[in-house]
Amino acid sequence: MKRTEISIITILFCLNAFTQTVITGRITEEKGEPLPGANAYLQGTYDGTSTGENGIFNLKTAKSGSQVLKVEFMGYEPFIQNLDLKGDTIHVNVKLKEAFNQLNAVTITAGTFEAGDKKQAVTITPIDMLTTAGAVGDVFGALQSLPGTTINGESGRLFVKGGDSEESQTYIDGSLVSVPYNSSAPNQATRGRFSPWMFKGTIFSTGGYSAEYGQALSSVLLLSTNDMPAEDQLDLSFLTVGLEVAGTKLWKNGAVTGTLSYNNLAPYMSLVPQNYDWGKYPESATGAVSIRQKTSKTGMFKFYSSFDNGSFMLSQENLDAAGKPVDYKLKNGNQFMNASWNDKLGEKWSVITAASFTNNTDDIQFDQTTVAKQIQGTHLKSVFSYPFSEKFILKMGGELFSKKFSQNVQFPNEKHDNSFTNHTFSGFTEAQIYASTKFVTRIGGRVEYSDYLNSFTVSPRLSAAYKITDKSQFSAAYGWFYQNPVDDYLLYTDLLKPERVDHYTFSFQSSANSRTIRAELYYKDYKDLVKLTGGEFYLPTSYNNSGSGYAKGLDLFWRDKKSIKNGDYWVSYSYVDTKRDYRNFPEEAIPTFASRHNLSVVYKHWFGKLRSLAGANFRYSSPRVFNDPNSPIFNGEKMLAYRSLDLSWSFLYRQHIIIYGAVTNVLDFKNEFGQRYSNNPNTNGQYPGAAIQPGSNQFYVIGCFITLTRKGNANQLDKIE
Amino acid sequence: MKKIILSLAVVLVSLVSMAQKPEYYQAIGETFGQYATCKSVADFQALGNKFQMIAAAEKSEWLPLYYHAQCYILMSFIEQDATKKDGYLDVAEKSVTSLLEMVPSESEVSVLNAFYLVGRLVVNPMERGQEYSGLSGQALGKALALDATNPRAQLLQLQMEMGSAQFTGQDPKSFCPKAKELLANWDNFKPKSPIHPNWGKDQAEGVVKGCQ
Repeated sequence: MKRTEISIITILFCLNAFTQTVITGRITEEKGEPLPGANAYLQGTYDGTSTGENGIFNLKTAKSGSQVLKVEFMGYEPFIQNLDLKGDTIHVNVKLKEAFNQLNAVTITAGTFEAGDKKQAVTITPIDMLTTAGAVGDVFGALQSLPGTTINGESGRLFVKGGDSEESQTYIDGSLVSVPYNSSAPNQATRGRFSPWMFKGTIFSTGGYSAEYGQALSSVLLLSTNDMPAEDQLDLSFLTVGLEVAGTKLWKNGAVTGTLSYNNLAPYMSLVPQNYDWGKYPESATGAVSIRQKTSKTGMFKFYSSFDNGSFMLSQENLDAAGKPVDYKLKNGNQFMNASWNDKLGEKWSVITAASFTNNTDDIQFDQTTVAKQIQGTHLKSVFSYPFSEKFILKMGGELFSKKFSQNVQFPNEKHDNSFTNHTFSGFTEAQIYASTKFVTRIGGRVEYSDYLNSFTVSPRLSAAYKITDKSQFSAAYGWFYQNPVDDYLLYTDLLKPERVDHYTFSFQSSANSRTIRAELYYKDYKDLVKLTGGEFYLPTSYNNSGSGYAKGLDLFWRDKKSIKNGDYWVSYSYVDTKRDYRNFPEEAIPTFASRHNLSVVYKHWFGKLRSLAGANFRYSSPRVFNDPNSPIFNGEKMLAYRSLDLSWSFLYRQHIIIYGAVTNVLDFKNEFGQRYSNNPNTNGQYPGAAIQPGSNQFYVIGCFITLTRKGNANQLDKIE
Repeated sequence: MKKIILSLAVVLVSLVSMAQKPEYYQAIGETFGQYATCKSVADFQALGNKFQMIAAAEKSEWLPLYYHAQCYILMSFIEQDATKKDGYLDVAEKSVTSLLEMVPSESEVSVLNAFYLVGRLVVNPMERGQEYSGLSGQALGKALALDATNPRAQLLQLQMEMGSAQFTGQDPKSFCPKAKELLANWDNFKPKSPIHPNWGKDQAEGVVKGCQ
């Protein structure tokens, strides 16, 4: 409406009024910066105005007597003042206090990559994990493009900040996954058991994590599964390595998804040259059921159960028998169950309860040896949190990890049956305290008791973050971390105590305009690592906790979604300096899994006209060491540097049909992971060796994903790997 | 659109004396009339402020909250600085949430909810596309279930279908007959009162124009 009309109306309505009061003033934030666009009005009336560019408002009213002036602006706490209107001019200058909102407040980023939050400040999202070339649909593969990780091509597992792969733990919806990786042959890369599309959020913490997490020396990966699906659907996936059918059915406040998949590498491996002879190509069948049910307005119950059976036979040279090929045969069975429930208890308390159960069996035949291994793991956990105020939140909880591990080894003329059962009971508490939106500290502690080792540990944890500007912040984290020694030692001894590492992490992060930069310095002080005394492996006294070590390094991360139109890239670099004296090391040495320099460059581009998302990923790890028993220097040999350029292409053929193709190591770099040697010297007193090669130098995959819904417009775009 | 709103505002002012709550109708009608003159983020914020004030005075009425949310959703579309968009949508979200509790069976509120969800999607289509297109589709489904004749629900649905057709390389013009039909029948839908939501006809005209 035109100004004249408004003024006419105003005049008309002012005719009844005998007096007019003018309320004027300036609205600023605490430091005195003006707030344009703030709302100033008399409560319960229709008299109000907005501040101009300079934060000044000018409110004319015909009301008289006692009135309440209310000032409101987004992101600030409302201001209220009683006024007595008498027809004169009233000056009211207002300083608004910034509203405290945990979503906008500083978060602790030291050691943590968080994804899945709807806010912009995230560094990596689940879809990133899916569309990263080279990961080929593997959660752990995608994480290896983040700083702090080192690629070990002969393992495929996560190696974080100079830590061994056993030092990392994986949690789904709060409970532990005892066996997160598929079983593989010695020196062959494995993959994660879980498909990335199950997850809506990921937190990857590479150090200094909360007191809520124990039994992990180096990192925790926290995966949270999808909430309620939007509609009934049927997903079909056809890949050159297997196929999958998943059906989802909704009901009121609940849903069930059933998945069946079958993978067989026989057609692929018989077409593409392999570095090894497979007597039986890897084959596996998996069935899974996932149920989600809202239990109240705020409550959610999730259940997931999977059954997985896999097998293969691989021929490897037996270096103790003049290189004669010997079949390595493996059969794996894995049952996994996971349930979680979270809700509010009353007004303030909230509770998360989670449980998981794993039963994993491996039956291995090698030469004339048979090995049967079984892991039965149970994890129970409850976490309660209570906000004393928005700025002070207390969290506490308890956990039970139970593990039964048994191993039966049958040699031609001897037999070893060993097993152990351990229960680790733990309790933790932690307070998160905000001094303001700019400064937060988290202080907590954790106690653990292990009945098999009869050990009791206390771990303090402390972290803090300070926002320097809207966009930049520093974080620091410190803590003690304990983890029970690996199963292979606990089979023979209960005289050990948990291994320990102290983390010191200092990190800087700045995000603006879809660009993020992060730099992190850390130091890890390893103590009480298990050492072998040289006695017979089956004697309990052949092990002690006299080992130690350190890891220190710098991680850099740069992500830019802005500079290239329709393009998005990130660069990760990690420098690690680490040495240890543990296990069978004769002296302090660099462990074989650590690379000094690690680089990953990931690029993605959306070609709108072609309806395609293209991805490229280059990875480099500097040469790692390995040990040659023929050399007097321990871990004195260097393997080749790891290099790989991976490409992927996803094409949206129709809204519900995606065609996908990927190739790893497209430039065919030669990758080798050192040498393996015979256990016993030959007649010349030498240990013969052979190069450890990847299963194949390159991997190709082509697939088609189809989603059928009633409306026919959903797709598996987030399923593209 | 401008003309319609202006004439509407004039009508409203004349209706004032007949209304049960003259001051409320006067205030909301007057504020409503200013939509046409809003161009910038600041304009919509000032307008949103007025609706916020009216909502605070008339706690049982849902229309002020509706328009308050709409202002902030529109702000998120106009805003150039991507980092500010979510802040506006946070404000809109609050009003939409209270509206859904206040009048859960009002078709227009579900349309607004869908519109808000599209706003969230637009901030970062790459990352939010999947989730928010599903959510806004659900909200539109609810709006149409409550009132299949609601032209705004039909319009949003049509725009979403055309958008995804374009994305997947189908010809968006295959939706043109549907668009023409929607526009032809637009005026058959009578809002419950002159201050009930009545927007969208010019967008529908735009869609039809794009077909030629």
